[in-house]
Amino acid sequence: MFSSSLHSATNRRLLILAGLLVVAIAAFLAVGRLVRRYGEQQKALARRMFAQGNSEQAAGEPEHALEDYRAALQYDRTNFTYQLSLARALRDSGRTAEARDYLLTLWENNPQDGAINLALGRLAVREGSVENAVHYYHNAVYGIWPEDADKHRFDAEFELVDFLLKEGAIPQAQAELISLEASHPTDLDTRLRIADLFARSHDSEHALASYQEVLRRDRNDINALNGAGQAALALGRYRIAQNYLRAAAELDPNDLAASSSLQLSTMILQSDPMASHISAGERRERINSALAQASARLASCAQARAGDLQSGNVNHASDGMQVLQSRLDLMKNDMKRSNAKSDEDTASSALDLVGEIERQTAQLCGAPVAMDAALLRISADRAASESESGK
Amino acid sequence: MNLPAAPLESLKILKAKSYFRGVLDEERFFLVLAVFIGVFSGLAVVCFRLAIEWTRVGLLGPAPHSHDWRLIAVPVMASLLLAVVIIHIFPAARDSGVSQTKSALYIFNGYIPFRTALGKFLTSSLAIGAGHSLGPEDPSLQIGASIASALGRRMQLSRDKLRLLAPVGAAAGLAAAFNAPISAMLFVIEEVVGRWSAGILGSVVLSALSSVVVMRWFLGSDALFRIPPIAPVRPVELIAYSVLGFAGGVAAVIFAKAIGYFRPRLRAWPAWTQYFLPAVAGLLIGLMGYYGAPQVMGAGYQYIDEAMHGQFTWQILAMLAGLKIIATTLSFISRTPGGMFAPTLFIGAMLGGAVGGMEHHFYPHLAGSVGTYALVGMGVLFAGFLRVPLTSVFMVLEVSGNYSIIVPVILANAIAYVVSRGLQPVPIFDLLAQQDGLALPSMEEQRDESVLRVEDAMQAPDGPILESDASVATALTIAEKSKLDIFLVRQHPTGWASINRELLQRLGVEGKGEMTLGSVLPVGRLPHLHPDYPLEMALRYVYQTPLVPVVSRADFRKLEGVISSEAVLNRYHIVSRDEGV
Repeated sequence: MFSSSLHSATNRRLLILAGLLVVAIAAFLAVGRLVRRYGEQQKALARRMFAQGNSEQAAGEPEHALEDYRAALQYDRTNFTYQLSLARALRDSGRTAEARDYLLTLWENNPQDGAINLALGRLAVREGSVENAVHYYHNAVYGIWPEDADKHRFDAEFELVDFLLKEGAIPQAQAELISLEASHPTDLDTRLRIADLFARSHDSEHALASYQEVLRRDRNDINALNGAGQAALALGRYRIAQNYLRAAAELDPNDLAASSSLQLSTMILQSDPMASHISAGERRERINSALAQASARLASCAQARAGDLQSGNVNHASDGMQVLQSRLDLMKNDMKRSNAKSDEDTASSALDLVGEIERQTAQLCGAPVAMDAALLRISADRAASESESGK
Repeated sequence: MNLPAAPLESLKILKAKSYFRGVLDEERFFLVLAVFIGVFSGLAVVCFRLAIEWTRVGLLGPAPHSHDWRLIAVPVMASLLLAVVIIHIFPAARDSGVSQTKSALYIFNGYIPFRTALGKFLTSSLAIGAGHSLGPEDPSLQIGASIASALGRRMQLSRDKLRLLAPVGAAAGLAAAFNAPISAMLFVIEEVVGRWSAGILGSVVLSALSSVVVMRWFLGSDALFRIPPIAPVRPVELIAYSVLGFAGGVAAVIFAKAIGYFRPRLRAWPAWTQYFLPAVAGLLIGLMGYYGAPQVMGAGYQYIDEAMHGQFTWQILAMLAGLKIIATTLSFISRTPGGMFAPTLFIGAMLGGAVGGMEHHFYPHLAGSVGTYALVGMGVLFAGFLRVPLTSVFMVLEVSGNYSIIVPVILANAIAYVVSRGLQPVPIFDLLAQQDGLALPSMEEQRDESVLRVEDAMQAPDGPILESDASVATALTIAEKSKLDIFLVRQHPTGWASINRELLQRLGVEGKGEMTLGSVLPVGRLPHLHPDYPLEMALRYVYQTPLVPVVSRADFRKLEGVISSEAVLNRYHIVSRDEGV
């Protein structure tokens, strides 16, 4: 009796469990369909909100964009692109602290990700933190980029150098550029950008070499010609500068910078009294011309400053110009009296005086142009050369 | 011997039937049923989450921004509809699912109408989706309990099993809602059932696990929040976490006191006002959203995620914590259906982030990442507000999957719990039950109850101990020097017996003086107790025998004391007097 009731209870329970199993399978299938639909809707909403955020970001409305990026992440919370866009929107809307915290959280998850490091680097730039910027930009350069890795790395490096130059960290910028150049980028644009940055970092030697590298592959690249000319001019290699600048001016006659630099280099080459290839007579002639030019410059500057002299504002300056004028008069007499033996010493003194006149008038009456600029440059080159030989 | 094929088959069937007969006794059937309860609860919770999300997107739009008119209009309109539905169709859908599940367990023999599940599902989806500051866990818990109760009623289970089904379903519902089976199991054991027994534990584990498996099958295994990387905590940071624990304790008390104060007062208002209270709450919450804090609307999980990933400054986090306390209080006291788990987590995360961010701002060397503080903060509010210290610790560990924060979590939670207990003696669930006129057992009180033990009532043996290998004459000599009428006899090799003076004298008269005491003792040994046994256990024996030996656990022959019925009753009398009963 007991056994029979136990048996029937067991059968009943087995039947119940079988029934529950059938219901569970049916419910699984039904819920599965619902969840699929839900998932598709979530993804679609995420895409929609992201696209909306992108258009707002592009329209310069990062405040609105970040709300949409947040909404997009609500529907697809692990999407890396959305996360990064949100961080950028936070940064662009001035929420620097929030952007930093958010990016740092992303960074902690993916410390080697190039895009996150670049975003953190840009944030550090915005905050003016050189140390952090260098750190994160370096991470970005050596980080992981899923596609166009080289392009992203060079861009990050360029941004870093640009930032360093703006911050006045010239040696650091030069170091970055040298390491960048060492990676031998094949792209001409990249080479040209490196050369430009070398030029901006006052490393004319490397700039010239980089421009020449570009010109070896495209001799008519006007930017490279111009850059090489300017770099050579800065290095005092006037003949080389003249060649490049002439080529640039020929390619683009409207390029005023190239024309003016070409003119300067031509004048320097034509008027340098210490040029090695000229005769003694020509040297004397060039010195006399230089003295005459300096005299004219001094006179015109004195005239321009006459008002100031009358008001007595610049007594020291007028005294200085009178002294220079006296020394100039004496030098002209010396030049007339000089013979072959004393010629070299007199020439050197004359050039010193010319240089001093050009420097002082540049301070008092503004930057010199044309011949005066050339004389100032010649004088500066000479001083640098003497200082170097003195060492 | 080779049997023919057909009888062999019959034998196999018989064996299988016999196997199932043994396997499917009620205990085992209950365990299998727990798995099905978990599966159905998991499926229901998945649908519930979808329903909330669809309602939210449909009513408030995919990305509710502040200054959107819907933030005000939707909660108000939805609340007016909700009030009518709740009052006329689903009255049981109001209030805390935890209290209702406890009521089912302790009052209604496990009975929860299935209509309650349906009501909770529909009304909570609408309330949370429309922006009320409530969460889906408490309704999920009750939906699970209702499903379990409904299934159990059709299975003709014993009353004892039927009662247990509600917490089994509750664990399944909560586990699926949280995606955290351990926390759900602990919560149900800690707050609903209140005891650890093998029967309940096994079924709770099975139902919670199966519901989580179902939930993860459909919605993925991601936790509710993405957990930021957690750096190892330096010892000095424990100071900062202590501050968080204290702040969390105070915030929990403010939250609980606000609900405890306003809820009964609003319930006492005229019946017609109940139609408008959810709408007024919805309006005020909508205004918060409209004027710049849409984060306080709904469950707010995505904002917890954002807080943990450093998207808010500490000032904003602090503001959101404060506003969420107000918003949740409004929603809850207006009796809008929905739970308090998610808001508790929200407040805790925001408060944790705010405390961490502030400390980081003023003492950068002291505090770690804001995300870690937000995570610990969730546990802190859980411990302080819901008063489930064990669950709060495991919840944080389970959600984060990181055990390196166990020390700060335990420290901060313990401080919050102690502060909360000090300032608010009655836990929130007990308070709600009391306000509803239900005399449900308080799990916190049960945990705190001091258990009287045998050692509290036992007395030192004041008479001689007789040895069983001594002669009756010797024993009689010893007994004559004592005033007692009954003597304990130490038996060899172990055990105790007793003998009274009268029997000893009779044995002497009968000429059995040379016999050993052991040989003349009545058959059967005295029961004995150990000092650490509950005093209740002594009650079982003191009426059988006037003197029960209390012996050492290390040496059963060593007598620690004796206990009598008089001593036990005296002890209970003292306790009653001290407690003023």
